[in-house]
Amino acid sequence: MRKFQRISNEKSQEPTKEQMVRYKDFASLSHKYERLAKRPKRPLYKDPKLFLLLLIIGLMFLLVFLES
Amino acid sequence: MFKKKTHTVLDESRQIELAQKDHRHFGPLYERYFEQIFRFIFKRLGGNEEAAGDLVQQCFMKAMANIGKYEDRGLPFSAWLYRIAQNEVNMFFRAEKKNYSVEITDRQLYSILEESGENSIQQGDLDQLIEIINNLDETQADLIELRFFQELSFKEIADIYQISEANAKMRIYRLLEKINTNWKRES
Repeated sequence: MRKFQRISNEKSQEPTKEQMVRYKDFASLSHKYERLAKRPKRPLYKDPKLFLLLLIIGLMFLLVFLES
Repeated sequence: MFKKKTHTVLDESRQIELAQKDHRHFGPLYERYFEQIFRFIFKRLGGNEEAAGDLVQQCFMKAMANIGKYEDRGLPFSAWLYRIAQNEVNMFFRAEKKNYSVEITDRQLYSILEESGENSIQQGDLDQLIEIINNLDETQADLIELRFFQELSFKEIADIYQISEANAKMRIYRLLEKINTNWKRES
């Protein structure tokens, strides 16, 4: 939550050139964006562990279903 | 604050088109608007440099991700960026567990009172005014902040909210009336 607070002294609220330069970096932004947007999606059949886990869960459900 | 449409318009629309096709072409737009957006966020956060740095990166990240959806409706491109920045700042305020203090100078407070027609102002009145502003809802406080603390023009506010200039003026004057009413009730 934001709360406004009164101050009597008039201090500058403008950022300095140095402060702006410190955060201005398109290369890093672009790199971060690529990492987020082009995250390699591994298909299920290429992940044997996850595939096996899902298969076991599926089989358990099938067994429970057949038992009842 | 918003750059007027000049001979660079064609260049800019071309740059936007290129960025829509490939995010790597977003660079020139980033270079052009980074300082404006940083300044806007920095002031809204009351000078918190580190948080402003993080938010400005998030803001441009979102702009890059959504530039494909951007449509030129005759408003400056910067207005679209300001809208993203405005949302990011509001999300930041909402996520803060404790109250986040934004410092306001007496001069900025006087400008609200003058605009709402109050001429006889004393120092104690300013504390009362801060109390009234703190009790406004988020959208109303945003409008007051943009107009009186960020010192944006009605046109700039209208562009951010995608409303007409007359509508922006009306909203702010109604808000000033509300502040004035609350003011008289409390004093």
